[in-house]
Amino acid sequence: MSLIACEGLTYRYPGAETPALRAVTTTVEPGEVILLRGPSGSGKSTLLRCFNGLVPHSTGGRFEGTVIVCGLDTRHHPPREMGSHIGFVFQHPEAQFVLEDVEAELAFGLENQGLPRPLMRKRIEEVLDQVGIHALRRRRIATLSGGERQRVAIAAALVMHPQALALDEPTSQLDPQAAEDILQVVARLVAELGMTTVIAEHRVERVAPMVDRVWTLDDGRLQDQLPRDALAGGGARPPVVDLAMRAGWTPVPLGLREARAHAGRLPPLSAPATQGATDGPVAIQADSLRYSYDEHPAVRDVSVAVRRGQVTVLMGRNGSGKTTLLKLLAGILQPDAGRVRTAVTAAYIPQDADTLLFAGSVRDELGTLPADVVDPFRPWLDRYPRDLSTGERQQLAIAVVAAGAEVLLLDEPTRGLDPSVKAALTAFLRGRAAAGASILIASHDVEWAARTAERVLMMADGEIYADGPPRTVLSDSLVFSTQVNKLLGAGWLLPEEVPV
Amino acid sequence: MKFHPLTWCIWSVSALAAAFLDRNPFLQVALLMVLINAWLPYRERHAVPHWKLAIVLATVPVVFSVALSRFGHHLLFSLPSIPIIGGAWTLEALVFGASTGMALLLVIGAFAILQSTVRSADLVALLPRPLYRGGTVFALAITFAPQTMTSLNSIMEARRIRHQRTGWRAAPQLLLPLLLTTLERALQYAESLDARGYGSRRRSQYRHPVFRLRDAVVVAAALLSLAWMIVAPAAPFNAYQDLVPALPGVAGLGGILLLAAPAALSTTHRGDDVAHRV
Repeated sequence: MSLIACEGLTYRYPGAETPALRAVTTTVEPGEVILLRGPSGSGKSTLLRCFNGLVPHSTGGRFEGTVIVCGLDTRHHPPREMGSHIGFVFQHPEAQFVLEDVEAELAFGLENQGLPRPLMRKRIEEVLDQVGIHALRRRRIATLSGGERQRVAIAAALVMHPQALALDEPTSQLDPQAAEDILQVVARLVAELGMTTVIAEHRVERVAPMVDRVWTLDDGRLQDQLPRDALAGGGARPPVVDLAMRAGWTPVPLGLREARAHAGRLPPLSAPATQGATDGPVAIQADSLRYSYDEHPAVRDVSVAVRRGQVTVLMGRNGSGKTTLLKLLAGILQPDAGRVRTAVTAAYIPQDADTLLFAGSVRDELGTLPADVVDPFRPWLDRYPRDLSTGERQQLAIAVVAAGAEVLLLDEPTRGLDPSVKAALTAFLRGRAAAGASILIASHDVEWAARTAERVLMMADGEIYADGPPRTVLSDSLVFSTQVNKLLGAGWLLPEEVPV
Repeated sequence: MKFHPLTWCIWSVSALAAAFLDRNPFLQVALLMVLINAWLPYRERHAVPHWKLAIVLATVPVVFSVALSRFGHHLLFSLPSIPIIGGAWTLEALVFGASTGMALLLVIGAFAILQSTVRSADLVALLPRPLYRGGTVFALAITFAPQTMTSLNSIMEARRIRHQRTGWRAAPQLLLPLLLTTLERALQYAESLDARGYGSRRRSQYRHPVFRLRDAVVVAAALLSLAWMIVAPAAPFNAYQDLVPALPGVAGLGGILLLAAPAALSTTHRGDDVAHRV
């Protein structure tokens, strides 16, 4: 018997003109791992929320068809009853936490089930070991890093002993190492417990090797395929699959391990030529910047020049000081020591673009901006800004803040964006740089950085420790290098540049 | 050293009573010293900005008192007949305001210690079973407040980025996005509660804090302090009647010093321990 069965599922949000899901019919067998992919706004989160009954019980709207999870019809069993059958991990873990410390948070769901104290203790001890967060058990959640929070969120779902797990973009806010750690946890649950898992993810290269099937959602319609067929067919796919398609490798490898056998048969590849970044005039010069939060140093003695006509990506793990450095360059924070010299206007776009949008309509947000800035937004002028998709909100935020700016400082602009929107963002930023703007972007997204940047700065512990072209900085690193580089080394970063 | 949440609640009630009842400046300074010593073992990295905010709040009564009160004989200076603030500014009004401000600072300090030492989940666990659901909602509200402050800071930062006002005059423009963000977060919370089975059946309790001998000592000292302050209150201080406060007697000072029990026990204890049995 299928663990999850959707039959003719069509769902329309209240007031929406078109359905978010259209006639979705599919099943998930016990122990299967499903990758759910699709563009922003295609209905991925909505489908996951159907599995635990949040849709339609919390959202309202028009719901047709049936979703049977663990033998329970979600139309008749509200989320509070589904919670012990299917664990749900939200995209933003902070939205999921209800109490202050890790152990209380893990106990919350068990207390709601009315379990006796010894059983709760046993479950909590088990899940602390399973997810590897034993050392965090007495910590306050506010003091945890992004990766630690995500692991606690997964543990809080697992502690209920669900039969299935639904993960909504669990790595979208994490640096590559933290994302890898989370996926290791998921892989372990799958291997050791046979946990049925449905995982929505834009960066498919991270999960492709472990999935049994791929669901592709487009405009609410679901296509259910085997991984090789789905990833070879198009849409978001790992760079090694792109390379395999170009090189004609069969069967198409889904991950690095499978790809190595094919790569070993390639003729020796000489290292590609490294292009230096264009050395335009300096737009912002920072000298010996220091900044501390209370007594905790965030930026230590950083000197850097941001140049005109250049797209620079600033990389580093969570908490390395990237956001603080951007804020110092933007003049939002004043340095404890050192100085920032600039004669131009700098626009800073924070991680959460929502905070920049507070008018009642896109038209009001754009106000009196020039026609060439407003033109791309004409189809949405009367829409409420927070109803736009993640990518659309990001574009609008950049437009309203950065319209006349000569320096753009963007903090994690690709978070939650699908590949097509990322490509559009790359084109936009390259266009602005070609017109003479200086662009500095803080990002964890190695693949996107390799495509977009002319120069990469690496930051750790408040210091810049590497500065150079992507081919130099993003090569031969265990963490901050592209999938193609991990496969071929020698300075190769992207599948399309490999001569196969 | 960790104490039972109930111990901290009882101690806080006594400390708050002392902050409200004792207006003698000597006793207020003594209580401030006691509070600082009680707080030091539990201080957190981000506590300094909270104390700065408390001091700012404590200066409000000083400003209001000295600017609005026209009582007192010791003239500081005199303003021309400007509406509300014009007239004689007196030392008595300044000292009265300082005494009120100090009382406010002590109240904030007592709450800050409670917040640093007791987690909302522990407070909820103390509640009788029928009140548990209401208590959980209360705990959620406590967790919610700092996040709302974070949202407000984000919105103000966003307005600064867009070169828009962030001061009091911008309050109406700040309120709408704050309301929207808060509502969105409230919906997310509601979904999270629902997804984790909140309200599905009768709840059980995970935490069972252990009441130890040291808790009994602190509770006894706090209750004795409270009784002392009620039965033998310290001589009242009113700056308008006498600018120079009387030296407190042993009785007045004893009530305050009893509140130093948690700090005294902490200094005699080495290492941390687990105060919860589950």
